[in-house]
Amino acid sequence: MFLIFALITILGALAMFQQKNVIVAGLCLVLTFFGVAGLFLVLANPVAAALQIIVYSGAIMVLVLFTIMLLNSHEEEPAIKARPIQRWVGALLIAIFGAFAFRIVAGSKALAAVNDKALPVEGMNLNRVGEELFANHLLGFEIIGLLLLAAMVGAVALTKKEL
Amino acid sequence: METLAHLTGMSVVTIWTLLKVLLVFGFIMAVAPPYTWVERRGSAMMQDRIGPNRALLFGKWQILGLGHALADGIKFFFKEDIVPPHATKRLFWLAPLLAFVPALMGFAIIPFGRSFVYQGSMYHLSLLDPGNGMGMLYPLAIGAVAVYGILVAAWSSNNKWSILGGMRSSAQMVSYEIGLSLAVIAVFMKVGGYDPADIIKDQMAVGWFVWRQPLGFLVFFTCMFAESNRLPFDFAEGEAEIVAGFHTEFGSMKFGLLGLAEYAHMITASGLITTLYFGGWSVPFMPDAPVLLTILAFMVKLLFFMWVFVWVRWTLPRFRYDQLMFLGWKVMLPLSMANLIFNAWLMSRGG
Repeated sequence: MFLIFALITILGALAMFQQKNVIVAGLCLVLTFFGVAGLFLVLANPVAAALQIIVYSGAIMVLVLFTIMLLNSHEEEPAIKARPIQRWVGALLIAIFGAFAFRIVAGSKALAAVNDKALPVEGMNLNRVGEELFANHLLGFEIIGLLLLAAMVGAVALTKKEL
Repeated sequence: METLAHLTGMSVVTIWTLLKVLLVFGFIMAVAPPYTWVERRGSAMMQDRIGPNRALLFGKWQILGLGHALADGIKFFFKEDIVPPHATKRLFWLAPLLAFVPALMGFAIIPFGRSFVYQGSMYHLSLLDPGNGMGMLYPLAIGAVAVYGILVAAWSSNNKWSILGGMRSSAQMVSYEIGLSLAVIAVFMKVGGYDPADIIKDQMAVGWFVWRQPLGFLVFFTCMFAESNRLPFDFAEGEAEIVAGFHTEFGSMKFGLLGLAEYAHMITASGLITTLYFGGWSVPFMPDAPVLLTILAFMVKLLFFMWVFVWVRWTLPRFRYDQLMFLGWKVMLPLSMANLIFNAWLMSRGG
């Protein structure tokens, strides 16, 4: 199961980079999001999986595709010129970040805990998410609320010509 | 069941799941064609005309024109499958599937009868067992994904009308989703859980949510019409403006699938309305009704709401697009927000 979803995620992401057509690339990204949602399911966290689909594939990607469709024509745009240096720098950066991410994950306490003893897997549910959010992360929650409100007001102010 | 499990070498659980999959999907596929017939005959009834009655079964029996549903299906299969030369080929093939699969999947979470114990093991009458942790988030997620079918269909046709229609209806689905989610959250709050089984249990104990949150029901009901692209909100198409919207270029079984997807959406929407606001499979005044009776109760409620979809279609006039957006953002969203805050206030006072 893990392998299937991991493959969906990685292949979706790779296909997205390969695609010259922006819309198809966007759909490949949606496929990647589905793979990630599946991985969350394998990790016994259906809430995260559902939210991943609702927020990322359902809202964000739809809006992105929407904008592309409004602006773009059907033609695929050829690259103006090949940029080999940037390509290699990109690959190098990916390698460096990947190595660091791997080190952080491998050295994390949670992984050690998983390896230590066979913990009884307890599925996540909304009630637990809510309790955790309001008991231990209340300040962060409120700040994010404020931030989102500010972003929303900003968006309205930008689009309205006369206020 | 045990003998079947023994014969096929599968576990009882697997067979039960397979059986449920067949039952639910078979039900939707079997109900959709007669549903088109109900739609056509219903519209005829309301407009004081006879409606389709020409197709004869085996050239003999008229049976109120029921043969038309069958004839439509046969016709879809035998029509030439045309792919317009300017279309994006692969996406054009993919689009009907993208529209149809989410429409079918949404029904999986809805319990259609009481869970029962048979020979010491528990059987649940819903595809996804209660306590799976997804609960009612699942139909919301699937509903969010349903937009892709329309977007891809519109874009891959490479036709201005298609894109306009697809844009309209996806914008409408995205905007009404917010009001819908807020209305559902008020139900979650009251129940203290988000599993359909919990929601139904709570309604059996206290009362249906239509009576407890009439405002929430109104918002949810309206948003469901917008979500399934039905009149009075059918902006995907408009003969006079954009031809047939996102399915202009689709013919043959591709069009058939898009049509089936619409009907499957309505069936799922009726199921959700039944589960969230009308007590699901619970039988009024009978706390422990027999299993078959609960299935019957669910079916009656489901079919009633499916009829309501047809009924509303031929009763209300169509909106204009700006009116639709006005209704969605400036009426439905504040209403569901008010419903949420009012219920939170009631609960904070111990209600």
